[in-house]
Amino acid sequence: MNILEKKKVPEFIAALAADYDLYGPIVHPDSKDVLFDRAAEPGDIALQASIPYNPAKIPFFPQCESILGYAYDRSTGDVRIAPADLVRPKALIGIRSCDLTGLLCLDRFFLGQEFVDDVFRDHRRKTFIVANTCIRPFPQCFCVCTDSGPSAREGFDINLTEAGDVYLVEAGSEKGEALVRKLGLPAADAAQAALKNKIVDGSIALFDEVSRENKAWISRATNRLTTGFIKNEVWEYIGKQCFECGACSFVCPSCSCFNIEDLNGPDGTTDRCRTWDSCSFEGYTKMAGDHNPRRPVEDRRNKRFFCKLSYSQSRKYLRPGCVGCGRCVRVCPGDIGLPTVVTAIRREITE
Amino acid sequence: MNAKTETAIVTIPEIAVVEEITDEIDEVKTFYFRFVDEAAGRNFRVRSGQFIMCTVFGAGEFAVSLPFSPENDRLHISVRSVGKVTCALHDLQPGDKIGIRGPFGNGFPFEEIKGKNIIYVAGGIGLIPLRSSIVHVLQHRDDFGRILLLYGARTSKDLMYTYMIDKWLKTDGFETHIAIDNPEPGWTKHVGFVNTLVERAGIPVQDTVAFVCGPPVMFNAVIRDLLKRGLKDEHIVSTLERHMKCGIGKCQHCAIGRTLVCTDGPVYTYKQIKTLGEQI
Repeated sequence: MNILEKKKVPEFIAALAADYDLYGPIVHPDSKDVLFDRAAEPGDIALQASIPYNPAKIPFFPQCESILGYAYDRSTGDVRIAPADLVRPKALIGIRSCDLTGLLCLDRFFLGQEFVDDVFRDHRRKTFIVANTCIRPFPQCFCVCTDSGPSAREGFDINLTEAGDVYLVEAGSEKGEALVRKLGLPAADAAQAALKNKIVDGSIALFDEVSRENKAWISRATNRLTTGFIKNEVWEYIGKQCFECGACSFVCPSCSCFNIEDLNGPDGTTDRCRTWDSCSFEGYTKMAGDHNPRRPVEDRRNKRFFCKLSYSQSRKYLRPGCVGCGRCVRVCPGDIGLPTVVTAIRREITE
Repeated sequence: MNAKTETAIVTIPEIAVVEEITDEIDEVKTFYFRFVDEAAGRNFRVRSGQFIMCTVFGAGEFAVSLPFSPENDRLHISVRSVGKVTCALHDLQPGDKIGIRGPFGNGFPFEEIKGKNIIYVAGGIGLIPLRSSIVHVLQHRDDFGRILLLYGARTSKDLMYTYMIDKWLKTDGFETHIAIDNPEPGWTKHVGFVNTLVERAGIPVQDTVAFVCGPPVMFNAVIRDLLKRGLKDEHIVSTLERHMKCGIGKCQHCAIGRTLVCTDGPVYTYKQIKTLGEQI
């Protein structure tokens, strides 16, 4: 473990800026909203800011992007297809353990199944990840219930833990160790090294007080979702509450459904665009000819929570799909964020 | 990584040229194509029951089942003009280019069903994906027992591939029973839904596998009657259809319960279908 003095943080970020595009929590100058975004300047990244509204999947799985361009000249029969060049070095700085866990879910889903998603692979190829331990939870958090926080255990190159005037620095990869050496960060003494666990324990202890409403006892819900023994009334209730806005999917660190559309430009070229999609939308499963096998909203809601918590989906992520960031709690206008649904399933069993 | 992953054209479409377009039934045309790159054509090896993602340049991409046999058959697709992209496909002329990705999906069993009686039950354009298996099985006629096709459509004009059926009937031991939903002047064959043919045809039950493809309402009725006749869940095989965007198990549009139709399917036994955890 090493030590990074807080006043040296700009130098630390600048060292990464030389080799990578920087992404991180950025505080909007007027609204003070915190968004996870590309940083124009290294100084824009706010390590102390609260958890961003949007998830850290954005650099690798953007809301909308062209994955392929083509031009077809029908008169000559000439077809030109050009895959988009998506490999850019990216450094994600200050991501929370929930977001990092979500990213690991996406890695396993996009790269670890029968087919490799080469779009995601290209995005992910050259990345540097600086995680940031949450020394206290935010009101919507429940990562302690989903085993994904408050401090990252894997997947980072560097993990920072704020400890008074300094950050405790853990390197999680050779790349991370190389950066520590390059910056000549001093080693932590025994007392400082012992602080890490204390800080994490302190953070966990705060959950009861800070995020009282967001307990999610997911193991029981996982059992029920996997076996399907959940009364339809539960889904009907959830379906009634759902506005079908898709916000839960868009802010979720592990949601990765996408749509593909070919968009024609004015110059005769076409972009094959990949955009976020959500299983809450009625058109999501609608086929040409209007047949829709999953029409009722409760069937569609059922699918989302199946995806987040069922055993069969967890096998693809090698953990539950929910990472406890609580963003769905914050954005859902119908109050059916994941903890509410877990509670509804649990109540059905216990009451 | 298995063999089908290695040979499939995964994300960048391979260019093919439409050689010939023929009318089948109302709103359905067949498009014969060949790959521009001959090597791509040689590597394009399919199993019956697999599907491809077909790009109509400037319109988009759609998933379509393959009607041609894996052996000695001309590459083609038969497509109903029903959505934005398939309508654009119907506007193409011979000589136009299309893009092909695939083949994807598991495909119908072939080696596993050798020696068995095969019943094909199709409704309307549900015969399109079954055509591949029928031709392939008939190419190896001696390896199989009785081969029956039970085929129904709304009207006589909605019967696909009638010219193929005539050809298949010349194969020794191929039987077919055809029905239309309502009486028509001059129609001498059976009138009724296709599931009524199950009883009528006196299909064998022992050592028999049934392949079923058609719209959901027909599917349910046929399954019911096949089970009543005594077929086992695991000997009823069907190919499912879903909205698909990627073909490689990532976009998730084709999820049915725990399964993804594009990579786990599209071919399932009825035994599997019952355990998917969601209505089909």
